[in-house]
Amino acid sequence: MKKKQVLGMITVATMATLMLTACGGNQKADDKGKGNKETQTEDVSKMPIKVSNTKKAIKDGTLDVAIVTDSSFQGLLMPELSQDAIDSSIAGPMQQTLFATDKDFKMVDGGAADFKLDEDKKIATVTLRENLKWSDGEPVTSDDLVFPYEIIGDKDYTGVRYDERFRNIVGMEEYHEGKADTISGIKQVDDRTMTIEFKEVNPSLLQASGIWEAAAPKHALKDASIKDLASHDLMRKSPLSYGPYVVSKVVNGESIEYTPNKYYKEAFGEDPKLSKITITVVNPSSIVEALKAKKYDIALSMPTDNFPTYKDTEGYEMLGREEMSYTYLGFKMGKWDKDKKENVLDSNAKMSDKNLRQAMGYAINNDEVGQKFYNGLRRNATTLIPTVFKSYHDSDIKGYTQDKEKAKKLLKDAGYKDKDGDGFVEDKDGKKLTIKFASMSGGETAQPLADYYIQEWKDIGLNVELATGRLIDFQSFYDKLQNDDPGIDVYQGAWSTGMDPSPTGLYGRHAAFNMSRFVSEENDKLLEAIDSKDSFDSKKQKKAFSEWQEYAYKEAFVIPTLYRSEVLPVNKRVTDFDWKTTSYDVWAKVGVSDKERQ
Amino acid sequence: MWKTILRRIILMIPQVIILSIFIFLLAQAMPGDPFTGLINPNMDPAVIEKMREAAGLNDPWHIQYIRWIGNAIHGDFGTSFLYKLPVAEIIGERALNTIWLSLLTVILTYLIALPLGLFAGRYQNSWFDKVVVVYNFFSFAVPIFIFALLTLFIFGYRLDWFPTTGSVSSDVVKGTTAYFFDKLHHITLPAISQAFLATAVTIQYLRSEVIDAKTQDFVRTARSKGVPTNKVFTRHIFRNASLPIASQLGYEITGLISGSVVIEKIFGYPGIGKLFIDSIVQRDYTVITALILILGIATLIGTLLSDIIMSIVDPRIRIQ
Repeated sequence: MKKKQVLGMITVATMATLMLTACGGNQKADDKGKGNKETQTEDVSKMPIKVSNTKKAIKDGTLDVAIVTDSSFQGLLMPELSQDAIDSSIAGPMQQTLFATDKDFKMVDGGAADFKLDEDKKIATVTLRENLKWSDGEPVTSDDLVFPYEIIGDKDYTGVRYDERFRNIVGMEEYHEGKADTISGIKQVDDRTMTIEFKEVNPSLLQASGIWEAAAPKHALKDASIKDLASHDLMRKSPLSYGPYVVSKVVNGESIEYTPNKYYKEAFGEDPKLSKITITVVNPSSIVEALKAKKYDIALSMPTDNFPTYKDTEGYEMLGREEMSYTYLGFKMGKWDKDKKENVLDSNAKMSDKNLRQAMGYAINNDEVGQKFYNGLRRNATTLIPTVFKSYHDSDIKGYTQDKEKAKKLLKDAGYKDKDGDGFVEDKDGKKLTIKFASMSGGETAQPLADYYIQEWKDIGLNVELATGRLIDFQSFYDKLQNDDPGIDVYQGAWSTGMDPSPTGLYGRHAAFNMSRFVSEENDKLLEAIDSKDSFDSKKQKKAFSEWQEYAYKEAFVIPTLYRSEVLPVNKRVTDFDWKTTSYDVWAKVGVSDKERQ
Repeated sequence: MWKTILRRIILMIPQVIILSIFIFLLAQAMPGDPFTGLINPNMDPAVIEKMREAAGLNDPWHIQYIRWIGNAIHGDFGTSFLYKLPVAEIIGERALNTIWLSLLTVILTYLIALPLGLFAGRYQNSWFDKVVVVYNFFSFAVPIFIFALLTLFIFGYRLDWFPTTGSVSSDVVKGTTAYFFDKLHHITLPAISQAFLATAVTIQYLRSEVIDAKTQDFVRTARSKGVPTNKVFTRHIFRNASLPIASQLGYEITGLISGSVVIEKIFGYPGIGKLFIDSIVQRDYTVITALILILGIATLIGTLLSDIIMSIVDPRIRIQ
């Protein structure tokens, strides 16, 4: 179940949810009180990632999957137009991506296609697996490999995928502007092979999200207009698939039903094990009760803030894994120059003193935040490369842990002193210093967490107030940040990293999403090293990543605060389900060992 | 009568225009747009800008407004940024769901409220009346989300009598009787929990109107003429007591399509209410503005209908 997730913004917490279990009477309320006192914590590293059921899967089993969300799904099932995580989750059983990956999300052979990159010629070769067929019996050909590029590059394309990865292909921009009929850099060598010529190559190309990872059925869509693709039946009702399952029914916004793809065996050697998979949207407010009633086998996108209320649900096993994301504090230090398309540092900005930023980092105790607010399902983040990227995360960097004396000393030495005796330090010129902190609304923890941070900063003598006086909703929050609202000095945001750990898109000089607007020549150099050709050598790559993480730690232009974990309740009758982010054909393998849920 | 209706309809035109300008400006004033927070950082800001441009979000508001209202008159509300489908198609599909649910709710509400209100009023201070009054207090006081969650918990999960999410099962075929009954099965629980609380106002009105009417002169006159009690109640009192209910009827029709955000969220029922909230959260402008406009017009029509119904029921308020 490789998540087709690109780098993206995520909310600090899931939307506010009212839990059914909250109306369970006094007994439960008492239990809850006790739990809070003792602070139940979980260690996600001790949770299994694979189901422990070793029984054999039965024939003709059916699997009921819940996807927990409080909105309806949009139902754009082909990846070319799909644009949210829910849509790509529900398309999971049919969307087997082209490439398998290793533990660092680098592409490896053995998937539906193999990928090879010639770094010197800047040419990638993609070769399809033999006997790969669409669910209508037609073979998957190199036409289908090229087709997604033609869709996404088309001038009438309505989705959000036409990004740097596509513009890096030779001839793509000409095609996009309508100056060329074909993409000159993409060539079909034979029925199963396509080559792509790039303008620039860097190690990110080897990551799973480095190039487009799906094929599109050209034989069925060649006459469709790209503009109206979103309302095409193959997009919403009966998409073709070369994956293990094929959509048999869609109830708009509510549920989707899959039956096995009978041609899957011809390419991959074995049939999918289930006769039916149903994925149903379930509201977060009732999912815990639904699990207790054993209505579903698997609950995708399970909220974690109420984990203690369902972790012991009878008949279920809790799988856990690290998310490819982190929460961080960002410090506004400049502006985005629209004309030059680059970030410009303002040396007079309130937050431009490194000592002040570091002091704010040393003031807070994120491990405690993870324990108290998130039941241990989040923990202190030490660097800007999450631990899930095992080869790139530098575990020698300790990050910011609470040390208030050090924080106070940093402030004092840098010239931030309390001159008027009101308990808050003044800035270096002796003027009152008020820092505006922006934080997103959503979830029950958002407000207490913001209060906690402000309290701790007050303890080291900083006068921090909530920007706008209250929490800000997701859309307004990023609107203000992207437009460099002068009313924000510090903000708490979160990034989902996707499968490419390269930080250039988030922290580079030309990155519009570098919302702290911090730039330096040193930073440019270190980021270049990560994306350089030298980094095709894994040792040099590791070193480049380490050096940048160290630099980011010292400069503290953003301070990572929390790494997140996610949890997946799975019924004990489910077999062969491996939740590793890098699992390639998890839906093809999954089965059930009993007719009824346990 | 017809003149009045015609006058009212003509009066509605400027009302709708002012409403539409308001809606449009308010939607524009919301911070962020559909492209905020949706785009990935690999994307060149120029491409995002181009998408904004193509969607017309960069034009001055009055140009956007004229384009929008011009298309809306022809029934074209644009394309949803989120669903990438024509707004009219999305709203149409959701509206159908909401209408089914609301219709059953209204039917159930009156089935419960009419007899309870009438009999409670007729047999004032009897034990039956006392029970109704207690029920009434209860339904007034209990917030809908608590009650809906409770019914879902008891009848959905514990007793397993009703489905717990969605509007139809995935394994029934559209157009069959099984499909119809499956839909009915899905809307029964949300409709009951909504109706149970919605009865409060109606019962209260009916009961006090009946009690009030009992002491009126025309009732005393009827009784002194020797009209049997039953006839007094059905002929004389009921008609008068139903006036306030009739005035509500027009608004109920508006309610039919506006749906209930809370109920639809809790029961995972894809109707208008849920669509509305989702599109606000994600700044799906075209859907938001179209929905408010449609609901606004429905409210205006509802008011008109209420007045018409009133004038049918109560000849005294017919305006010349």
